[in-house]
Amino acid sequence: MSMTTPASGTVSAAENDVLLDVRELSVVYASPGMEPVQAVDRVSFTLGRGEFVGLVGESGSGKSTLGFALTRLQKAPAQISNGRILFGGRDIRELDAEELRRQRQGGFAMVLQSGMNALNPVRTIRNHFMDVFRAHGHVGAHERAGRAAELVQKVGLGPEVLDRYPGELSGGMRQRVSIAIALSLEPQLMVFDEPTTALDVLVQHAVMDTIQALQKSENFTAILISHDLGIVLEATERVMVMHEGRIVEDARSVDILERPQDPYTRMLLSHYADPRAETISIPGFVDMGTRKREGKARIDVTTTRPTVSARQARSADSAIVVEGVSKVYPAPRRGEEKVTAVSDVSFRLEPGEALALVGASGSGKSTLAKLITGVEKPTAGSIRFGDLDVTGLRRRALRELHKDVQMVFQDPYSALNPLHTVEYTLTRPVVNYTGLRGADARRRVLELLDTVGLTPVEQFAAKLPHQLSGGQRQRVVIARALASDPQVLIADEPVSMLDVSLRAGVLALLEDLREQWGVSMLYITHDLLSARLVTENILVLNRGRVVERGETAQVLRHPSDEYTVSLLDAVPNPARAKGAR
Amino acid sequence: MKYIAQKLGLFVLTLWAAVTLNFFLPRLMPGSPADAAIAKLSQNGPVTEATRAAIEAQLGVPTGSLWDQYLSYLHQVVTLDFGVSYTFYPQTVSSMVSTALPYTIGLVGIVTVLAFVLGTLIGVAAAWKRGTWLDSLPTLTGSFLSTFPYFWTALLLLFFLGYVLHWFPTTGAYAATSTPGFTAEFIGDVLLHAILPALTILITSLGGWIIGMRNAMINTLGDDYVTFAEANGLRGRTVAIRYAARNAILPNLTGFGLALGGVVGGSILVEQVFGYPGIGYLLFNAVIGQDYPLMQALFLMITVSVLIANFLVDILYGVLDPRTRR
Amino acid sequence: MTSTQNVRIPSDHTGDGIAAPSRWRAVGRMVATVWGNTKARIGICILGFFVVVAVFAPVLAPYGPKDNGFERNGAASWAHWLGTTAAGEDVLSQLMHGARISLVVGFAAGILSTIVAVLIGLSWGYLRGVASEVVGFVVNLFLVIPGLPLMIVIAAYLQNGGILMIIAVIVVTGWAWGARVLRSQTQSLRGRDFVTSAQFSGDGSARIVFREILPNMTSLITGSLFGAATAAILAEAGLEFLGLGDSSIVSWGTMLYWAQNSNSLLTGQWLLLFAPGLCIALLALSLTLINFGVDGISNPRLREGKGR
Repeated sequence: MSMTTPASGTVSAAENDVLLDVRELSVVYASPGMEPVQAVDRVSFTLGRGEFVGLVGESGSGKSTLGFALTRLQKAPAQISNGRILFGGRDIRELDAEELRRQRQGGFAMVLQSGMNALNPVRTIRNHFMDVFRAHGHVGAHERAGRAAELVQKVGLGPEVLDRYPGELSGGMRQRVSIAIALSLEPQLMVFDEPTTALDVLVQHAVMDTIQALQKSENFTAILISHDLGIVLEATERVMVMHEGRIVEDARSVDILERPQDPYTRMLLSHYADPRAETISIPGFVDMGTRKREGKARIDVTTTRPTVSARQARSADSAIVVEGVSKVYPAPRRGEEKVTAVSDVSFRLEPGEALALVGASGSGKSTLAKLITGVEKPTAGSIRFGDLDVTGLRRRALRELHKDVQMVFQDPYSALNPLHTVEYTLTRPVVNYTGLRGADARRRVLELLDTVGLTPVEQFAAKLPHQLSGGQRQRVVIARALASDPQVLIADEPVSMLDVSLRAGVLALLEDLREQWGVSMLYITHDLLSARLVTENILVLNRGRVVERGETAQVLRHPSDEYTVSLLDAVPNPARAKGAR
Repeated sequence: MKYIAQKLGLFVLTLWAAVTLNFFLPRLMPGSPADAAIAKLSQNGPVTEATRAAIEAQLGVPTGSLWDQYLSYLHQVVTLDFGVSYTFYPQTVSSMVSTALPYTIGLVGIVTVLAFVLGTLIGVAAAWKRGTWLDSLPTLTGSFLSTFPYFWTALLLLFFLGYVLHWFPTTGAYAATSTPGFTAEFIGDVLLHAILPALTILITSLGGWIIGMRNAMINTLGDDYVTFAEANGLRGRTVAIRYAARNAILPNLTGFGLALGGVVGGSILVEQVFGYPGIGYLLFNAVIGQDYPLMQALFLMITVSVLIANFLVDILYGVLDPRTRR
Repeated sequence: MTSTQNVRIPSDHTGDGIAAPSRWRAVGRMVATVWGNTKARIGICILGFFVVVAVFAPVLAPYGPKDNGFERNGAASWAHWLGTTAAGEDVLSQLMHGARISLVVGFAAGILSTIVAVLIGLSWGYLRGVASEVVGFVVNLFLVIPGLPLMIVIAAYLQNGGILMIIAVIVVTGWAWGARVLRSQTQSLRGRDFVTSAQFSGDGSARIVFREILPNMTSLITGSLFGAATAAILAEAGLEFLGLGDSSIVSWGTMLYWAQNSNSLLTGQWLLLFAPGLCIALLALSLTLINFGVDGISNPRLREGKGR
């Protein structure tokens, strides 16, 4: 085997009956006119019957490509260029189309990442099952209805979903249904490709529980592909860590936790912490409580403040005051109920303060961001920024507000226009808000790039978004938000789309800006760990209502509301997994 | 049901808008179509007051309020009284239209549906066998044929199959020698005369449906439910038909409704070339003879037919897509 | 983060021309994608051929398009490769000059109706509520009303309006499809964060529409331009063929009109029918083929290659 072999932790698959034996497997992406890209690079491993193995890697590590290759679902331009995949002793690369099709019943099955879209929108759930039964004939015609009902029951759904269309089910239900359909094949091997990534945090947790329970009760062999080492360590007994197309570490979960061998694994692991812990530290980061106590800055570098400050011309810093705000959306369709997104929420964001707004999706946190930035108007209540009544602002006045209240968006891939250079993107707010022109504006743009750590600045200024990594894009987004020298930053899940290893850097940047520039920050997230790292105070939202508030460390360590507890429980935590074992 | 009610409401509204457009069209034009029409009619003999009123209601008069004209026009439309044709004096416009309509509906209607079904099936095959000759052959031939002007295809078929090879009759809907009636002989004659125009419409419209369906299905083939269906080992035929094609038909159906107007327009030219006595041929003669009353009535007929067809397509869409039933 | 108190600013650089590199690079990528498609490449070659012929028609054509001193209804010969018309004109020369009309009408009507489509599509995509419904209704009305009959009726009222009339009629009846396509793209783009970001950057609505949204629709607009031009070429030929245009000009449509009126079917002069029709079909085909490549830009799934 070409991977590192930890002395203590290699799993002796030989002891068990070997189900899957992968040898020197390589997958390349070969498009005409492009350099072929080696996505999976001579990967070897074996899998014993009944094992539950995690396959972890960041985006672009080749983990999904490997998963698709194992089940022979890879599509052009991906192709297996080398190696063997012995499934039950037989190389599945040699199967012809019909043999392969038959192999999918009682062989290997796959649950896709986007389980939400994995169901045919014009067929009922029942028909999905019937299609599978008919294709393989492994269930007699008379038992099919009963079997379908039994299967959905296994994933925690009632038989009534069988008569529904996929569009009538929630995301979590749809993912459960696709697990049940995969289960109906009675597979020996199940490959779960990021089965919970597209789901809400709380739902995520519940679906993972179901998968774990099923693996035990149905006793299939399973591979769980995920970008989240925490989730994998919690669920599986053995973990393979993938990096740049290779498996860099393959060991028992406990050993990975206690004795990680590969530097990459160690790096990944270092970014996990329990938000409930007394003190927290991740690379380059000590949590705020500790810092306050010890009276020192997070790290010893300073960011450059712009030479030309727009704020000098403006009034003193002011707080954001939200009072009794509600937002009700009209019913999506006639005959349905109105949607109450935010209900009677009040809070203050003081100058220089960092406040976390946490909750699962649908808790109303993003709606609050829209209300505070004046993008939408509340149905009741008032929002003030200093003397300014945000709720009554029209176009021109809104621009005045945005000079002081800026936004950092969640998705760095959608927040930058693919056709504009970084320089153009940053020049717009500089020109619009600071009145700088020509060489002065350019100077300011380069300063901003320097501030967010994109050096050499001139190179970055000339780049287009597709030439930047996710973390770099998010830095550009932050630089743009800073261009007007704002007093308040609204950061809407600024790191949730980034790989774990990149998150700390962006969070550190936000934190620095706050400390050095005195910008106050409303940090919107579902990720309690990051909230603990960068905020002093916290507001927990459930279905549009504030259910808990207080000092961040205090609230997270001693939560009083049930909802906060369930959010905390949903945080993947390798350390807790270790304790449980 | 709500979906159907909504579509019905939209249909009625569109119908009204089309009828109203038809009312304003001649009135927006420079000159006075009504005067021209009456002058032309008077060449055939004295014009009665009733005829004059009918023409004025339809085409507009210099005096009288627009609203009154509009009301009397609406009355005309509802009672299907479009006055007298003057190129075919003294026949009424309504009788002319009702003689021509069955031929067009029979020819254009049937052939269009046939072409759509055929094109969709070929498109499914092309997308499923993407990158093979089964894809490139129909796609390329289809896109080539669909750029043929309708009338040119008609002329070519007429010349080669009609004049050179004498396989088919060259003009009319039935031979001058046969007597109309429900006899096998007459029906056979009608069918024989319909073959060339039908072939023309089929050849020129088929390509569009093939490519539309192919592209729609290539899209659905990339969707996750198709990947999942393959992962579940469903048979290729099931995946192609019940998953990929079944979903691709929905956008294609919308495209069908919207392209219908173009096909009907093209068939006007086809009828003209073959001297086929349908709506299109009549419209052409009305235009040449500046027979405005007939022209207006025909345009209205064509529009209303396309609207009804579109409404039917909408209903079919509602049946096929469960998401509209909520 | 490094602490760089003094950022080195190149002094010879002014703030002008900031967006220039991105624009040209994007266009370059687009052209490369289109050219990379075999079908599109063939289309571009055919179109180029017709453009060259049209531009240099006076030089290339052996005779003037209206020189009628030749033998009538002549068959193909060395002097007249494609024969002569019933009026004694050289068919090949007419064909070459006719290319000008088709290209001018096709592109003029195509460009104009695309402009209308862009304006209506963009504003429709930006509108909400009742206004959006009303625009939607009008667009749908123009979509379902059969275009050619409407053109015929309008053309019949405006007797012999000539080429400008034909262009106007095609534009009035032909913008709706493009508007519909562009509207849905506008809607999806305006939901993207970079549009909201531009608002936060203090940009006005006009700038957002023209600098953020519009450039991202280049391929769709190009596609609907070629689509509209194809439709316009076919519609122009149809109207001319029915004798509804100015039948004294020399175009492919009028050539067919005169050919049918002089009964060339009966006299067996099939070239007279065949040649202009083939030119119309080839020109329309070239645009359709180019659109295969353009489709690949906006929809990567449609790019060439074995799919499955």
